[in-house]
Amino acid sequence: MNTPLPQRLWQRFTRTRVGRSIFRVGLPQSKLERSQAMVSSFLLHVQPAKVNRHSLRAGYTLGLGLITLYLFLILIGTGVLLMFYYVPSTQQAYDGMKDLQFVVSAGLLIRNMHRWAAHLMVLFVMLHLGRVFYTGAYKQPREFNWLVGVGLFLLTLALSFTGYLLPWDQLAFWAITVGTSIAGYAPVVGQKLRFLMLGGHTVGQEALIRFYALHVIVLPALAVLMIGVHFWRVRKDGGLSRPDEPGDVVGQVELGQVPTNKTYGLMELAQGTTPQVGKNPEDEVFAWPHLVFRELLLFLLVVAVLLFLAIFWNAPLEEFANPIHPPNPAKAPWYFLGLQELVSYSAFWGGVVVPGLLVTALAALPYLDRGCRGVGRWFARERIVANTVFTICVLAAIVFTLIGSFFRGPNWGWVEPWQKPPVVTEGH
Amino acid sequence: MNHPTPDNDVSRRSFFQLALGWLAGAFATAASAVAAVRFLVPNVLYEPSQRFKAGKPEDYPDGSVTFLEDERVFLIRKGNTFRCLSAVCTHLGCTVNRANKGYHCPCHGSVFNDEGKVEGGPAPRGLPWFLVTLSKDNRLLVDKGETVVADKYLVV
Ligand code: HEM
Ligand code: FES
Repeated sequence: MNTPLPQRLWQRFTRTRVGRSIFRVGLPQSKLERSQAMVSSFLLHVQPAKVNRHSLRAGYTLGLGLITLYLFLILIGTGVLLMFYYVPSTQQAYDGMKDLQFVVSAGLLIRNMHRWAAHLMVLFVMLHLGRVFYTGAYKQPREFNWLVGVGLFLLTLALSFTGYLLPWDQLAFWAITVGTSIAGYAPVVGQKLRFLMLGGHTVGQEALIRFYALHVIVLPALAVLMIGVHFWRVRKDGGLSRPDEPGDVVGQVELGQVPTNKTYGLMELAQGTTPQVGKNPEDEVFAWPHLVFRELLLFLLVVAVLLFLAIFWNAPLEEFANPIHPPNPAKAPWYFLGLQELVSYSAFWGGVVVPGLLVTALAALPYLDRGCRGVGRWFARERIVANTVFTICVLAAIVFTLIGSFFRGPNWGWVEPWQKPPVVTEGH
Repeated sequence: MNHPTPDNDVSRRSFFQLALGWLAGAFATAASAVAAVRFLVPNVLYEPSQRFKAGKPEDYPDGSVTFLEDERVFLIRKGNTFRCLSAVCTHLGCTVNRANKGYHCPCHGSVFNDEGKVEGGPAPRGLPWFLVTLSKDNRLLVDKGETVVADKYLVV
């Protein structure tokens, strides 16, 4: 009797009628049961019963996509809790935030977690995008999943931006005033688009309720849907990318052809040899426990770090929104500060042309860069041109963001962060 | 029921059926899309009126530049002339501050001179001037919906 008590209890439970009806497989012991555990559970069946060793290497994915997912799930959980106190009205929104901070039990913690998770999700979606780029993982047959990813990236930014207005404090009001004005510079439809976003000419009650509806239902629902498609495609594209996927027919599917794997074969959708031919079984390990436990561990790590942040640092809440006095300087959220810096040179070029081109380039990337070499490894030699171009863009984005964050003071004038901020006197 | 016909031999009837089906589908989709967008465009705005009364001319001392907070404009008196300048930066809509000379925007550093012209920064246009008139009961009347050239004054 050297099995630990919780395990024994669990086993006993899953052998009862009720337990069996729910879980079907107890704690998997045999190889068969390990497969069954994955296939018969709703949550686990999203994943294959066996995974490639390469996909489990922490140094390959760095777990970045998973971390993004976990942050998203935490955001849904904490966000739903916040909804119980938040009222999307310009009169009440700010009071709701104050209540959450000062009178609601654990309100402060929940709000902090939501805020920090939101910032982190933006950060990690960018890091994940970078990982996929530097490992060449967007190449055939994963072009479309990269496209889905670009959609998710934009959705993440939109989620964060719409959430930014909700506290109805100074930060919120002016970041949204500035942000939506940038949209107004888009050619032809700009002003109409801004009007539609705000439901009026200025940031007011109509804008607040619109942003609220987008933030709590429209965008999260879209994101859940697209994350579903994203994961489905990861599997249908043959699991994660890896160096020269051996004998993997899925990797060489012609356009418009259904991959000839076993399921499709059984459904008479496709004929021919199955991709398992030539695949080395030594490379595959059982998802239970190898994958599942790693995922659980990473989840606990994310929760722990987030709790740590939320306990020791409070989410900012400035004064009640005042449409008359912008804070000086008025800054957008950090991930838009690079853009704001560009916008300070020219609203049209910096606010419309540059981001427009960047997003178009990101979306078109897998269809332009079609070479198949250097996939599944970080910084592959064969991809030196693509990697260099990408790195230059990333560095430029970082530099502009840093300038916007730390080197811009009152009136957007140049300041050096290590010097005392200049005192501005202003009067009306 | 449709009888399956080879692709290159579509009967006239099934062609019309197909065309009708697709047209109806396309029409329904387009109509729903238009209705949805139209639904989102508000028909009534509960925004403050663009026209407002700004008090008596005597309230403003000679040579003064007065910031009217709620309306986000500057009321400027020189001698017995009155003008009204927008305080909303033409760049991205922040409220500009009155400086010793001209106006500064705190958001991205646009600078406007006393005439509202751009002197520096990213603002694409100068600050607009608004029409000032005198109402029957001797009050200054500003219409923010009506822009005028810089050297149009109300003389009292
Ligand atoms: C809400 C945002 C996102 C979530 C939750 C998410 C989640 C994931 C997860 C869990 C994986 C499995 C591998 C890993 O952990 O790295 C993955 C793979 C992948 N993601 Fe994302 N992702 C998101 C956004 C993006 C973005 C912005 C891109 C790129 C533009 C992208 C492109 C890809 C591609 C191409 C793969 C397959 C990689 C491979 O086969 O090696 N995803 N994603
Ligand atoms: S809003 Fe005035 S300079 Fe940008």
